[in-house]
Order: sequence, then structure tokens, then C-alpha cells
Amino acid sequence: MLLIGENINIMSRTIGPAMKGRDPAPIQELARDEASAGVDYLDLNIGPARKAGDELMGWVVTTVQAVTDKPLSLDTTNPVAMEAGLKAAKSKALINSIAPARVDEELPMVREYGAAMIGLLWGLDGMPRDANERALIAVDLIYKANEAGIPNEDIWIDPIASPVSVEINQVRACLEFMGMLEEIAPGCRSTVGLSNISNGTPADLRPYLNRTYLIMLMRYGLYSAIVDAFDTELVKIARGEMPHIVELVHRVMDGDSPDLASLGEEEVKYAKTVRVLTGESLYSHSWLEI
Amino acid sequence: MTFEIPKTKYSGRIREITLGKGDKAITVGGESCYPFYLYEGEMPRLPRIAMEVYDCPPEEWAPAALEPFAGVTDDPVAWAKKCISDYGAEMICLQLISTDPNGLDRGAEEAAQVVKQVADAIDVPLIVWGTANHDKDSEVLRLVAEKCQDKRLVIGPVEEGDHKKIGASALAYQHTLVASSPIDINLGKQLNILLGNLGVSDELLIIDPTVSGIGYGIEYCYSVMERMRMAGLAQQDDKLQFPIICNVAKEVWKTKEVHIPTEEAPALGDAKKRGILMEAMSAMILLLAGGDVMIMRHPEAIRLVREMITELTAS
Repeated sequence: MLLIGENINIMSRTIGPAMKGRDPAPIQELARDEASAGVDYLDLNIGPARKAGDELMGWVVTTVQAVTDKPLSLDTTNPVAMEAGLKAAKSKALINSIAPARVDEELPMVREYGAAMIGLLWGLDGMPRDANERALIAVDLIYKANEAGIPNEDIWIDPIASPVSVEINQVRACLEFMGMLEEIAPGCRSTVGLSNISNGTPADLRPYLNRTYLIMLMRYGLYSAIVDAFDTELVKIARGEMPHIVELVHRVMDGDSPDLASLGEEEVKYAKTVRVLTGESLYSHSWLEI
Repeated sequence: MTFEIPKTKYSGRIREITLGKGDKAITVGGESCYPFYLYEGEMPRLPRIAMEVYDCPPEEWAPAALEPFAGVTDDPVAWAKKCISDYGAEMICLQLISTDPNGLDRGAEEAAQVVKQVADAIDVPLIVWGTANHDKDSEVLRLVAEKCQDKRLVIGPVEEGDHKKIGASALAYQHTLVASSPIDINLGKQLNILLGNLGVSDELLIIDPTVSGIGYGIEYCYSVMERMRMAGLAQQDDKLQFPIICNVAKEVWKTKEVHIPTEEAPALGDAKKRGILMEAMSAMILLLAGGDVMIMRHPEAIRLVREMITELTAS
């Protein structure tokens, strides 16, 4: 399980101004902290970066590489900025991301710079409605990537996790697709923007959704995830250090309803969260209390 | 091999909630199947209709809607009585339009006085509907709850932003609350949990999912109500096993389509029939989605909907 730290993001109240003002200190501090928190990649999200995005991405990559050797995930929808980041990257970078709408511009870059790519399953018609539509988009995208000379192991498919408070069927479809991927595209890798599952949920409760959904996706073979680097329990889960929680989540996924009174306080929270994420129990902000 | 029609497996039942008190009290809910799926379960209490009365003379009502109430629209008590005696209303919904801070902005004391007068004058259940302005509703509905403390009113809308204030006073005087959420099943469930935490008993709650009329997003309302019923009936979600109330007339009769005169848009047909049919059809759609109480306006639209309910439930 590889972890990609999501924290260097232009939307952040400290990082945004630092990026705009080209102030390296806050970015470098965060990069060091993420690296020591134990993530494998650092995601550098500069947003759409329509104006001078190339210069910004080049600068951010150089700034981060000055303090850490961790490989980078370059996160922008601007292809020019993407290319500038790839040029500046010292080790094999991950393009975050290429969706069907941008294949013509961006697939050639993957080979040219010896990078890997996240294949985002956001179709030409928008968000896929179920697991099968995800599969259709994936097959097409992988075919085009292979044609452009990109081997499966450099394609990390992102089936798109969407908030549990918006549409539970999408939460299930993302899981279901994850179970299909190995068969559809042997050797392909996968990733997911994990924190999106808890978007709209009160901040202090988000980690329960993130961690539980990670365990559920890992069961279906998830290769990597873009995560909050500072959720230490989540990092432990990814490292296989919480086997009893993983075992509990699997049991509840299989339909077992353990006697909540026999579980510890934390275990109860995981059990309740699985039931919300499978759709067995309808989500509400108070899901842990009822 | 004989063919067997597949049946839905239900594991829950909607609670029965009694609105009002005395001989004319009305109990709604109790369904053990999806709306009108009488071949799969029962609807022991048929959906009911409340007729709306404004607490001040309505402005901008289409002529078709005003006609049945000619002569009483400046007197809420007379209006309510007319609904009951002339149109057989089983419930009245008093819309506190005059309290709207962006309109007449009538004070809580005066508004509560009108509610009291109407409540004293009728014996059918009375629903009191505010303006969904949290500050104003907190002020007005709390006073209404106190002044009408022995009346067992149905008070709403109670939203997350004012549920504590309105909830507490309704709780003190044992009124029924309309838990109102913005077309969102998760937020609807959350509000019911919050009201439960506040101490509101399950017998005093009815859900308002926020509805609209035909052509104005009714399919979203339908979908949310349908999912509420699925959660309550098939997934044992006890936080959603409540009857549903739909404040639909106000939404239908404010649309452009009910106001255009016949001669300006002949293709849309007779203006009077058009408004009536839009109201009746909107209400019918919401009944098919799981509504238990419809707040309606035009007597003819009400007659049409009652007829449909009778036909759909005929044995």
C-alpha cells in the first residue's frame, strides 16, 4: 500500500499564499513533515493554475526537492504546468491526473518524461454513474495509454471516491469497480482521493470515514491512496499495523453484526462506519452516536 | 412452473402520528408497504389533506385560487370555517405569511393572537406554518406554542438552525413538530436525530422534505421521499419512519404557469383548469412518493386528489 500525502495544496490557508508569494519556507516545512509522517509520495496540488502555471509548478517541484527525495505526484489540470513539473522532477513522477478529455495532450508526456500517470475515470459526459460505466471508461483510457506506449504498471486508475453524504450508490460503485479492476486490466495499479469520501462531514469525524473506506478498498486490492499524511492511525492501517480493526471491518462488510457491547469504543466506531459506507445504514452527521 | 410476482421484503413500518386532539383528531402513517402497494402491505391510515388559510389577505393569488374564498380572505377565522363547512376540510394549515420580515413583518404577539382565534374557532387539527426565517420563526412559533398550549398544534417548519428554540417550546406544551430539511435525506435524518436528542418524542414528529410543484424540480422531492420510505420500510431506519407532510399548494400557485391568462397563452389551455390541475397532479405525485399529509388550496384540486386516493385504495 503506497500513500500519497495530499497536504501541499494551493487551497490550504498557509500553502496557498506561500505558493503565490513564492515563499519556500512553509512549503518545505510541510514537505519535511509529510515525509517524516511516513508517506511514500508527495502530491503537489497547484490547482488549475491558468496563469503562469508552468513557472509555478517548476518552482514548487524544485522547492520541495530541496528538502526531500520522496517522489512527487504533480497535481494540476494545466498541461503546460504539468510538463514544467515533469521537466523539473528528479525522480519518476506521477501525473495527477489524466482523464479521457485530456488524453491527446497529456498521454505523450508520460512516455517522454518516463513518468507514471493517474487515470481518472471522469468520463467525457462527467461522473460515471455506476461500476460498469467506470469499467467502460477505464478500458478505453487504458487502451489509449497502452497505444501511447505506456505499460499497465505505470497506469494508476482512480475510480473516484465521492462523498458519503451525497450519494451512497456512488460509494458502493467505487468499491465494486475496485473489485473488477484486476480482471479488466491485469497489472494496472490504482489510487483514490480518499478524503473525498468524507467531504461535507464535520471535520473531527472525517478520519473515521477515511480510515474505514481505506480498509474496505484495500480489501479489493487498492494499490495506493491520496491521503491526509497526518492521520497517524490511517498510516498505521496502511502499514498493516492494525490487523484487528481490519479484521473487524471485513467481518461487518460480510454482513456480520457484532454485539456492539462486546466491542471497544474505537471498534464500535469502525463497525458503525462500515454499515454507513455499505449503505446498510443511511448516513447522517450523527452516525457514530446512534 | 407457476409464475410468482416478486414481492418487496419490508422490515419496518411508518409510525402512526396523531395530529390535533379530540373527536376530530387525525392519525396518519402506519404504512407497512410503499405508497399504494396494497398488494404487498397495508396503509391503515389514508393520506389526508389540510386546507390552507393565510393570516393576511393574499397578494398575487391567481383569480382561480381566490374565487372559492371570495369574501373571507381578510378574516382567517371566517376563512378557516368556510373551508370546513363548505369544502369539508379535515385539517387547516394557517400560513403565517404576515410575519415575513421581508413582507408585512407582523410581530409575534399579534400573529399568535390570530392563531389563537383560529384555533379556538375550529375543532379540526390546526397546522401553523411560519416563514422559514429562523430568527422570526423562533420568536413567533415559540409564542404560538405557549398561547395555544392546550391545542396540540402542528408547528413548523422546524429546521436545524432553529430546532432548539422552537423544539424546546413545542416540547414544553406537547405540540407536534414539522421537521423540515432542504431536499436532502441525510440532513433530514440528522434533524430527526437532533430533535430526538432534544427530547422530542417520536409520537410528536412529522417530516417535511421540502417540496415543489410540477416543472419546478418535483422529481428531486420525489426521489428524496422515495428514499426516505425505502430507508424506513426496507432498511429499518427508525429515524425515518415518520409520516411526511408536503406544503405543496404554495409552491404550485406561485409559478408563472398558473398566472398567465388564457388569452395570453391559449396553448396552455384554460387558466382556471390549469392551476387546479397543476395543484392536483403535483399533490398526486407527492402522494405516490410517500406523502401522508398534503397542504392544498383549491377545493376542486382537493376533490380530484381525494377521488384518486379512493380509487387507488378501493378493494
